[in-house]
Amino acid sequence: MFEFIKEFSTNYSDIYPVIALSLRVSLTAALVASLFGLTLGVITALHEFKLKKSLMRVTNTLMSLPPVLIGLLVYMLISRKGPLGSYGLLFSPSAMIIAQCALVFPIIFGLTVSSVSEAAKDIELTCITLGAGRRDTILTILSECRMQLLSVVTAGFGRAISEVGAVMMVGGNIRGKTRVMTTYIALETGKGNFEEAVFIGFVLLFISFIINITLYRIQRRE
Amino acid sequence: MVITVENLVKDYGSARVLDVEDLQLNEGINVILGSNGSGKSTLISLISGLLKPSSGNVLYNGKKFNASIRNHISVLVQKPYLFKKSSYENIISGLKYRKVNRDEIELRLEKYLDYLDVENLLNKKSHWLSGGERAKIALLRTAVLETEVTILDEPTAAMDIESTFKAEVLLKEMASKNRTVILVTHDVFQARRIADYVLFMDKGKIIEMGLKDDVLENPKNTLLKQILNK
Repeated sequence: MFEFIKEFSTNYSDIYPVIALSLRVSLTAALVASLFGLTLGVITALHEFKLKKSLMRVTNTLMSLPPVLIGLLVYMLISRKGPLGSYGLLFSPSAMIIAQCALVFPIIFGLTVSSVSEAAKDIELTCITLGAGRRDTILTILSECRMQLLSVVTAGFGRAISEVGAVMMVGGNIRGKTRVMTTYIALETGKGNFEEAVFIGFVLLFISFIINITLYRIQRRE
Repeated sequence: MVITVENLVKDYGSARVLDVEDLQLNEGINVILGSNGSGKSTLISLISGLLKPSSGNVLYNGKKFNASIRNHISVLVQKPYLFKKSSYENIISGLKYRKVNRDEIELRLEKYLDYLDVENLLNKKSHWLSGGERAKIALLRTAVLETEVTILDEPTAAMDIESTFKAEVLLKEMASKNRTVILVTHDVFQARRIADYVLFMDKGKIIEMGLKDDVLENPKNTLLKQILNK
């Protein structure tokens, strides 16, 4: 098995940039979406307002939005005739990051609201009674709920790295520029190169395994 | 700080849960007694600014509640949340929020830790603490703030009798130097031991209030008489 991987890795050294780009795009997208999703999620969890239930229904719908639809919307936004066309983002890693952000943000936001709602109110009350300001209160909630939120971010990253439709549409699957693991698998399968497609599939699984092991260890340590 | 309440009303929908016409809470220990659902927790939530009244006012030395007054009030709720940290970090958390400097934090710890014998708990994470130990840490976390007004909702309910007595010594210290402590309790004996003033509440209203001896030794209300005779 190891011999096979070694030989394969030598013969197909062009897959390393593909793996690296996949990680770069998906990690950046998950990070940016987390920054906004976690903060807005905690704020939403703390407040009761008229349209909260409607907002959560819309969020739940967006959580299951087909990636190709996101791809289409982002494509229309950044294509030459779109409102952001002048930035020349189409078929670039930045476009892929934007598409994955749009895909992952509702997941991180929605899961944050549902996972911290109950605890957040107790923590907020304690912070207020101890004299904490708004910023300290939100930071404390993020810190106290870090394990739930880490799972949320992981779920978001998992969605981003395994997604193919949106990055294919806005990235274009250009070799050496916007080709990521999922589009690589789709392309090689189409060409009948199952060996390479399966190998990349295993790399994806391995990344997922590493993330889960890390999460499990952190949870045990906590 | 003297707290004055004027025509304070709290409604939830059509249900009136609190209706207090006139009340003054003085420096010293003010004990609020009353049965379950009598409005004690609602009253202290309104006084501490955690709840907004439907109508009426709460005045602090004659001024309305504002951000600066909030800094002079600390509250210990009935079921306090302890952060997922060590007892030490929990105790100093409020001081850190209030940007108290390191030296002052150490001085406050030195002053208060002895009251409840918690030195052996300082490095323990909060989830390893028993109910009584959690109550001690939560009380100390509030005590070290040394605010002009301290509002406590049944702080000794989970403590054993020995710890309760120690906590009462701490409560007296918290009420010293012209500070105001408002203590909600079901324990009439505790009121007898430490109160300066007593308020008795029933069905959202204040039935009796005044100096401890006046209220507890010569009660006029029938329900209070029954409770005191038990």
